[in-house]
Amino acid sequence: MSVQRFVEPQTVADAWRDLAEDPWGAKVIAGGTAVVLMMRQRLLAPSSLVSIRGIPALRGIATADGVVRIGATTTLSEVASSPEVRRHAPSVARACALVGNPRVRNAATLGGNLAEADYASDPPAALAAVGARCTIVGPDGQRTVPVAELITGFYETVLAPAELVESIELPAPAGERREVYLKYRSRSSEDRACVGVAARIDLDRGRVADADVVVGAVASTLQRAPEALAELRGRRLDAEAAGSVARAYAAAIEPMHDGRGSASYRRKMIQVFVRRALLQITDEAGGEDA
Amino acid sequence: MPDTVGTDFRHRDAERRVLGTLEFVLDHKVEGMVHAKAVRSPLPHARVVAVHTEDALAMPGVIAVLTGQDLTANPDIDPCFGKPRADQPVLAIDKVRYAGDPVAIVVAETEHQAWEALPYVDVEYDELPYVVDAVQAARPGAPVVHDDRPDNNVATWRLRHGDCDSAMAKADRVYSDTYYSPPASHVPMEPMVCVAQWSEGQLEVWTSAQAPHAVRQGLEKVFGLPAGHARVHTLNVGGGYGAKGQVKIEPMVGFASLAVGRPVRMELSRDEVFQTIGKHATTVELTTGVMNDGTFVARRMHVNYNAGAYAVTSVVGAGQGLTRANGPYAIPNVAIDTVATYTNTVPCGPFRGAMTSQLAFAYESQIDDIARDLQMDPLALRRKNLLRETDVYPTGETLHDLHYDELLDDLAAAIDWTAPPAPAEPGRARGKGLGIIIKNTLTPSRSEAVVRLEADGTLRIFSSSVEMGQGANPTLAQIAADRLGVPVDRVALGFPDTAVTPFDTTTSSSRTTFSMGAAISSAAEDLQARLTALADELHGLGGMQLNHDDGQVTPAGRPEVRIAWTDLLEKAGLTELEGHGVFQTDYGITLMDPLDVKGPVSVHWHQGAAAAEVEVDLETGKVDVLRMHASCYAGRVVSPLRVEQQNQGCAVFGLGPTLFEELHYQDGTLSNPNLSDYMIPSIVDVPATITSTALESDDPQAELHGVGEMALPAVSPAVSNAIFAATGARITTLPLTPERVLQAIEEASTARGRTELGAQR
Repeated sequence: MSVQRFVEPQTVADAWRDLAEDPWGAKVIAGGTAVVLMMRQRLLAPSSLVSIRGIPALRGIATADGVVRIGATTTLSEVASSPEVRRHAPSVARACALVGNPRVRNAATLGGNLAEADYASDPPAALAAVGARCTIVGPDGQRTVPVAELITGFYETVLAPAELVESIELPAPAGERREVYLKYRSRSSEDRACVGVAARIDLDRGRVADADVVVGAVASTLQRAPEALAELRGRRLDAEAAGSVARAYAAAIEPMHDGRGSASYRRKMIQVFVRRALLQITDEAGGEDA
Repeated sequence: MPDTVGTDFRHRDAERRVLGTLEFVLDHKVEGMVHAKAVRSPLPHARVVAVHTEDALAMPGVIAVLTGQDLTANPDIDPCFGKPRADQPVLAIDKVRYAGDPVAIVVAETEHQAWEALPYVDVEYDELPYVVDAVQAARPGAPVVHDDRPDNNVATWRLRHGDCDSAMAKADRVYSDTYYSPPASHVPMEPMVCVAQWSEGQLEVWTSAQAPHAVRQGLEKVFGLPAGHARVHTLNVGGGYGAKGQVKIEPMVGFASLAVGRPVRMELSRDEVFQTIGKHATTVELTTGVMNDGTFVARRMHVNYNAGAYAVTSVVGAGQGLTRANGPYAIPNVAIDTVATYTNTVPCGPFRGAMTSQLAFAYESQIDDIARDLQMDPLALRRKNLLRETDVYPTGETLHDLHYDELLDDLAAAIDWTAPPAPAEPGRARGKGLGIIIKNTLTPSRSEAVVRLEADGTLRIFSSSVEMGQGANPTLAQIAADRLGVPVDRVALGFPDTAVTPFDTTTSSSRTTFSMGAAISSAAEDLQARLTALADELHGLGGMQLNHDDGQVTPAGRPEVRIAWTDLLEKAGLTELEGHGVFQTDYGITLMDPLDVKGPVSVHWHQGAAAAEVEVDLETGKVDVLRMHASCYAGRVVSPLRVEQQNQGCAVFGLGPTLFEELHYQDGTLSNPNLSDYMIPSIVDVPATITSTALESDDPQAELHGVGEMALPAVSPAVSNAIFAATGARITTLPLTPERVLQAIEEASTARGRTELGAQR
């Protein structure tokens, strides 16, 4: 069945009302980089499309009380080049700059990226590692979900049929923060990640007050090993600690197999890139691409 | 008049190509046309029990749904195409032989309506056992793809030279390895697209194809038309690389148009392009007998090309592979067998550097292993065994015009062969590698051309060579201008139209610059001869030698007399004057006994080379190609810029199958027929430095050699050998993924550990 209805609401409330009219058949579309491809491959066959690209309230980046709020239809290029994001969460800017190619990044939106829930995309891991939250709106009102909990499986999220992502908030760091996102591609430079590692540490007088390492692209959902992170607390992050966390991550995660690498290869790469990510923020070297 | 050949005459449409305003076949529209889409089998091998079309016919805009039964119901139609083996039905008749095999055609008013109706064609299948791997398919008891070929054999070719068995037995050392190249895809930017219309029993098509006359002949055979009753136009073709040789979707579109009585257009979606034609997966078993001083004394090869479900070009292709498998080495005792094998996979055809890349990956990898074992320099070992002038090739022919010594010199200079690579950071290793190849060009083949002088002085070339971005048109215009002695601006060249442009075998096999160039040169000479005769006749210059320069005739020794060609036409009462030219070879493997190939198989031999420097991440196995050099023997260069671009193109195009391109089959079905899951190199993957050399002959009359694919087959072994030099890791399966590289590094270090342990004892 083809798309029977294409609507372009001008407000967020109209958008979820349009969705609620056709809760099982409607799909939200913004940049279209994911939805259109899936429709062409017959993986999606929506009966109506709700384009939220024209809703002014959903676009743009603003900072208030130390929190950077990114509207859902802000493009990945805009996020990647935003001075506020680059200052506040450089690993998120970096992750957005590493998606696909410039044509994709100029069209794809951050909210769409999260709602698509592609296991191998870059922004979710980086957003999760810095504790980003998603504001979701729908007929039952507004709720906030940590990005770390948004994706529940391959292309599956906690979003209900008539809900949509409104914005993504980056909370203010408590103190000194270092963060990095490393994307490891095993094939071409435009490929999705074989392994993506986001690492973030908050320091208190040179010692780790809080840390998070989130691994993407290796399983249906974002992967963490909290017990390994707990050991970092109160320590100095050095090469030995980085190696130890990396080994723990490689042991804890059950990686998948796909065209980008086997499960056993991915396990090795998790260890390599968790260690490299942590070493980079140990050295304060900044987020270099792998 | 300065010589035009050897200068850079730019593509006339260069700006439009860059701006994206150039029209391709994809943009061609015909008044009143409707649209067709193919229903394709989701199963690799199945009997077609029934095709129910009612639901699809009820969909909006649908005009017709055509099946194999409709095809066979028409007594005028020969339902299968393919040359020399017509084994491919226009639509599946009794069974489907691969996932992607067309089963029905939906014709609708719009393309989207046809697409929407596809799932409503209900096909009942009875599944059959299938086979994906060619080595398994060649074994007794394997599922049979074509009932009349119970052994799944498409073709077997044999080459014998000297006494391989006894020489191998006497060799000091024998090296035996098996190499595998996976199926891959050409990925032309423009998909296959075709518009067909019938008028008074004649079929006219516009199609994105590399061989318009081959398509014409194929259509005439399918539809039972007399020669010339199918007419094929090609316009600008948006990339081919071998994917658009021979007949592809044209019979489907012609059939649909015949059935609905309207012009029909079909454009393949990207997944259908992947499902239409691929590169042969190939297993190469290679044994080389070597003396302790490095002299090659014997070579035995068995090559199994996975043809996929239909023969396409595999019958002859396996024979072409046979003549290229030996490599550019003088080996006195050779036994080579090549086979092509049917499987339930996407049909395969030539892939830039056709049939050769798989072979070169084997013989150019093994030679570096041999060099290491003999503690010789890989370049020195090559030089010791090179084919040189007057050497006898395993086909029995004596070779001339060979330039491998110069090619090796060139590689060595370009890559600073004798200097060690710059040191890498800890955890990384650098190395250099090289490869050289030999390749015949399509022989026999035929090119015809017409050069027409028009009243306004325009020199119009009629040629069926296809412009697909490679620059055939400007190159051929340069050759014509050069031979006619006129500025290239006066030369006009349009698109192939088989009703107007004369026969040409195909635009492939790097044959156009040479073969069509020769035909155009001969047509130009013919035109000049006719102009000479006219001048003689009209101006009473009998007995004087006449020269042609800048569109004028001048008697020798009387420079003050200049008669314009256009004045000659006018005086003779002619509006135009044509010269005709033909270049043809009438020998080659298609005329030989496949089991006893003997005699010349190529009009001349293509010689290509590549060198690479890589850096390997020892923890991940990821390879960075730091620089590449691509080199070829060109005879004479027509356009230095385009030759450089072709060499660069070979380097970049070759890196794809070397590093990551691979088609995956899951349950017999292609699992990555899209550009998210099938990777081709992006601009970011292009090495920072690509250098190029085109060697030229000292002889001003030297033959032009095509250069479109010369360096390509050398790319994979050059990169693989560079990895070997950097890490000691030898990989015998393409692509050289980080995972394979890492595993090979680990195995190499384990092996070294064992050796060191043994030495300690």
